Amino acid sequence: MIGYILRRLVSVAVTFFIVSVLIFSMMHAIPGGPFDAGDMPVPEEVRQKLLAQYGLDEPLYVQYLKYMWGVLRLDFGVPFQSPGETVLELLGRAWVPSLVLGGLGVLIGAPLGMLLGMAAALKRNSWIDYLASAVATLGLTIPVFVTSMLLILTFSVWLGWLPSSGWGAPERWILPIVAYATIPMATYARYTRSAMLDTLNKPFVTVLRAKGLPERQIVFKHVLRNSAIPLVTVFLPMFIGTATGSIFVEAMFRVPGLGSFFVSSIRTRDYPLEMALMLMLTLMFCLAYLLSDILYAWLNPRIRHGGGRE
Amino acid sequence: MTAPSAAEPLVEIRDLHVAFPQFEGTVHAVRGVSLHLAPGESLGIVGESGSGKSVSCMAVMRLLRSPPAQISADRLALEGIDVMAAGKDDLTRLRGRAAAMIFQDPMTAFDPVFTIGQQIAETLRLHREMGRRAARDEALNLLRRVEIRNPEAVLESYPHQLSGGMLQRAMIAMALSCHPRVLFADEPTTALDVTVQAQILQLIKDLQAELGMGLIMVTHDMGVVAETVDRVVVMYGGQVMEQAGVIDIFERPAHPYTRALLASIPGQEGGRRRLTEIPGGSPDPSDPPGGCPFHPRCPEADARCAAEAPPLLTGADGRQTACWRVTP
Repeated sequence: MIGYILRRLVSVAVTFFIVSVLIFSMMHAIPGGPFDAGDMPVPEEVRQKLLAQYGLDEPLYVQYLKYMWGVLRLDFGVPFQSPGETVLELLGRAWVPSLVLGGLGVLIGAPLGMLLGMAAALKRNSWIDYLASAVATLGLTIPVFVTSMLLILTFSVWLGWLPSSGWGAPERWILPIVAYATIPMATYARYTRSAMLDTLNKPFVTVLRAKGLPERQIVFKHVLRNSAIPLVTVFLPMFIGTATGSIFVEAMFRVPGLGSFFVSSIRTRDYPLEMALMLMLTLMFCLAYLLSDILYAWLNPRIRHGGGRE
Repeated sequence: MTAPSAAEPLVEIRDLHVAFPQFEGTVHAVRGVSLHLAPGESLGIVGESGSGKSVSCMAVMRLLRSPPAQISADRLALEGIDVMAAGKDDLTRLRGRAAAMIFQDPMTAFDPVFTIGQQIAETLRLHREMGRRAARDEALNLLRRVEIRNPEAVLESYPHQLSGGMLQRAMIAMALSCHPRVLFADEPTTALDVTVQAQILQLIKDLQAELGMGLIMVTHDMGVVAETVDRVVVMYGGQVMEQAGVIDIFERPAHPYTRALLASIPGQEGGRRRLTEIPGGSPDPSDPPGGCPFHPRCPEADARCAAEAPPLLTGADGRQTACWRVTP
């Protein structure tokens, strides 16, 4: 197991390196640069001076090596669009709303989806099964900005119950959290339903019934545990994906989160921020998948206690 | 039929019908089966796959999901308790305690995420209200009783770590853990190696004699029947063809189907005989033939057999046969 984890960590490092090279070169391959004439025209000599100041006049591989040397010392540079702070400070500041809203969205949506999926599997072809299917299908097919718009229309415009946008007071959190929760809820409803149905048809469930175990105990102790193993592994990557903010949700509810920077850093050619965002995302997803795999092995005795039949 | 014993039968099935509606048409798995088991008695139910033998046992244990299964019977009882009328709690109490069941494939019969010990202890804690510690000790005793070598290790093992024979022994231990009065064994040796088969059958037979419990052995194998039971019910196409003591069945088979079944056992009488087979295939359960279900394959069938189903008649010696050609 230790050897396995070490091998996986090496592969994470390799992935991280490859992604850094790819992003760095693609970023620079896009025509133009941060100080091109456009929003703020500057004289050519000033532009050259600025490029030199940021080290952008050096050959690309030198820039890359210098950047990565910084990364190793956790120095991600200064964002061009907000020179008053470091990239890390900006990320730390902007991540809070995304983490709170997206994170709560997953933490609320996933368990609700699981409950719905369980109810659907246990009461097949009942109204709750159809409801679960409808939630799963709609949640996965309606784009999140449409969901957001419908939420704002219903609860802010027509009913006037909740503020439509902003950040700060907790009542402003509710609508974006609901918007974030739809996809985890839909995903979990679908996965849980099929995993439970799959387990309920296993022969060992008949054996449990034959030995007189009450249905409640069969479902909550045995079926749920067997079905949950694959579901656990979906959670971390989903959490990372949602808790790093969605540009659509943050734009619709005007949340000052991380989501908008993914786009604005590319548009404004903010090299340090763009690199930092992509590297952060890469590392977090790699680690999330690694942890999920370890968790899966740990929860599943067939892997944890390898061997096989004697 | 044998004279009704003073004690209530452990298992009583009267005119059981089980059907499964499907897209292509309804599958009639069991069509009017009646049988009973007295305390301490052992009964074999023999038949080809699809003859309704397993389904009958599953029905009396109420292990068939209904819907889709459509079950009807004049009487379906375990230990005198009508299982059709029994509530959930009554069924939970009957299963495992009054009647236990072991299944064909031990490899898939245990929950893969719990140890064998945990799964046996779970049954003990449920029915015998034992504490954690006592249940574990009793589980260990049970594993010893089914002659498992190094029971301590097996107790801590997960199902995937054990062989089929070991798992079948463990399943027997689990089934017997709460002293059931009747054990249903549904093809308990079919999935096992031949050498292991004999050991498991011997174990079941020994434990049955030792504990004085009733046994219903469901199998397609006449050899298994010969070794383990007192009385035999031969089923075909969801109906009972013949019912008699095990010696009568082997020495004086009356029904043409029983005779054909016996003739198809290889190597009987030690001679180098050609392997006889029954011509044709099992009847289609969604469209069973009219009349006697065996008539399309029966060498003795005539027009009456095709037109009218023979009733199951009981002779003076207790033997039952459903055949126009046989006078009981």
